[in-house]
Amino acid sequence: MLKVPEHQVAGHIARDGKLGPLVDDEGRFFKPLQGDSRGEHEAKFYDSFSSNKKVPDHIHRYFPVYHGTQLVEASDGSGKLPHLVLEDVVSGYSNPSVMDVKIGSRTWYPDVSEEYFKKCIKKDRDTTTVSLGFRVSGFKIFDHQELSFWRPEKKLVLGFNADGARSALRKFVSSNSSADSNSIPNCAFASEVYGGILTQLLELKAWFETQTLNHFNSCSILMVYENESILMKGGDDAQALLRAQVKLVDFAHVLEGNGVIDHNFLGGLCSFIKFIKDILQSLDERDDETDTSQLENGN
Amino acid sequence: MQLKVPEHQVAGHIAKDGKPGPLVDDKGRFFKPVQEGSRGENEVKFYESFSSNTKVPDHIRRYFPVYHGTQAVEGSDGAAMIVLENLLSEYSKPSVMDVKMGSRTWYPDASEEYIQKCLKKDMGTTTVSSGFRISGFEVYDHKESSFWKPERKLLRGLNVDGARLALRKFVSSNSLSDIDSKPDSAFVSSVYGGSNGILTQLLELKTWFENQTLYHFNSCSILMVYENESMLKGGDDDDDARPQVKLVDFAHTLDGNDVIDHNFLGGLCSFINFIRDILQSPDESAET
Repeated sequence: MLKVPEHQVAGHIARDGKLGPLVDDEGRFFKPLQGDSRGEHEAKFYDSFSSNKKVPDHIHRYFPVYHGTQLVEASDGSGKLPHLVLEDVVSGYSNPSVMDVKIGSRTWYPDVSEEYFKKCIKKDRDTTTVSLGFRVSGFKIFDHQELSFWRPEKKLVLGFNADGARSALRKFVSSNSSADSNSIPNCAFASEVYGGILTQLLELKAWFETQTLNHFNSCSILMVYENESILMKGGDDAQALLRAQVKLVDFAHVLEGNGVIDHNFLGGLCSFIKFIKDILQSLDERDDETDTSQLENGN
Repeated sequence: MQLKVPEHQVAGHIAKDGKPGPLVDDKGRFFKPVQEGSRGENEVKFYESFSSNTKVPDHIRRYFPVYHGTQAVEGSDGAAMIVLENLLSEYSKPSVMDVKMGSRTWYPDASEEYIQKCLKKDMGTTTVSSGFRISGFEVYDHKESSFWKPERKLLRGLNVDGARLALRKFVSSNSLSDIDSKPDSAFVSSVYGGSNGILTQLLELKTWFENQTLYHFNSCSILMVYENESMLKGGDDDDDARPQVKLVDFAHTLDGNDVIDHNFLGGLCSFINFIRDILQSPDESAET
């Protein structure tokens, strides 16, 4: 039986009779092919990419596994529609914290319609896309105290400036996020989660520095980690249990690279990496201060 | 002080209609007019800040022109000039190329009018598609014993393949004025390659840009220079070429505000890839 996915943080939601993605209980994600050519376009991308031998194995892991297309009963009751069948990237997690970050300093690209271009550039300029090279599209965090998920409102997220984005990235790995919104994020899981994520982002960066196969316009990076057992266990198992994952998603606007690297995505990715690095570094500095003050207190 | 018009300007402002253009003296200095309005102020502000900024590592300073303050100069109606190191004074027959970096030349705080003007130009050139555009270049042609430069109009209309071709022509020795002749890429490895070559220098800059949040180099250019004099005289001494990368044009450079210059960096990475491709396939036909 197909049901509405629980952990969508951005994009279309299959709710209130709207058309949106569905999941089954076997780890598969069904994304409806939209009426316009974008859906087909995305299918074509998955088709060619998943079998492209020029893509190294260690890079394929950053992309959802593709299982072709299938006619499935649409979520809006409009009958059987073709759907993309993909790996559900959160199916292995029980209470995943998820964040969607759209990468690139522009979401438009050459040869789009004037209307689409205007829509994109306005959004790019109104968000951190132009200034930072990426924007947070949405996120949700599992709260241990409340045993529930917390997510900020979409409007708030799209209104983020640089500090807002920084704050969101800190909240994402904190255990005190849903409490008093004015509390400083404690970054309790920052070093385990972002440590693992940084390694993956750097691997992607190295590939983007030379790959000229595709330009990933308007594509997102999804960060997922398991929040469940972090506070209960710890130590060396923490990273394995956390299973912080990076996945690229949303390929409706991917184009061929034509011998040029995806400098738009790469620039944004480097900027995002710097933000993550800064958070990790601030933890080191915070720990150094604590150590110093402990020494001073005669500990 | 003997001042004259520089011989090798490939892009940017030149003296026209009574407006001052850049000048050089015989002591290795370059005099750049302070531009009108905020652009001029901004450029001076940048040079002042950069030259004394202790956060800039020494090995990165070599990629920027040395700054010697501002000066009012005779014949320029007392207008202030920015005094810089003349990047070409040590070269006898320099081949020079100016490449504007970044997939956009506009920036958030610019005026709407300026943004629209930039966008139009960016979309009509390789700026949007490739993350950089060639503003101009000049190559010493040994056969003709003169300098060759393509027309500005030709450069504007350059597409990706045209940019690739220009980058090959820049390091070639065969007849450049003949559009149909395939560039021989004679100096590819001595200019683009090697431990002191252009690629090595660009990679050093790239590493800095991955972390530096001091400045955003909007609309800034990378200048590539090399000595063409001794190239055909033979000898394996790669030092003869003395290829140099310099960043120039800081009228629109702003504070980084704790964010890396992802616009410049993306374009730089793309440019690096173009240079690498040429180094890896010196025979142009390999690209078809």
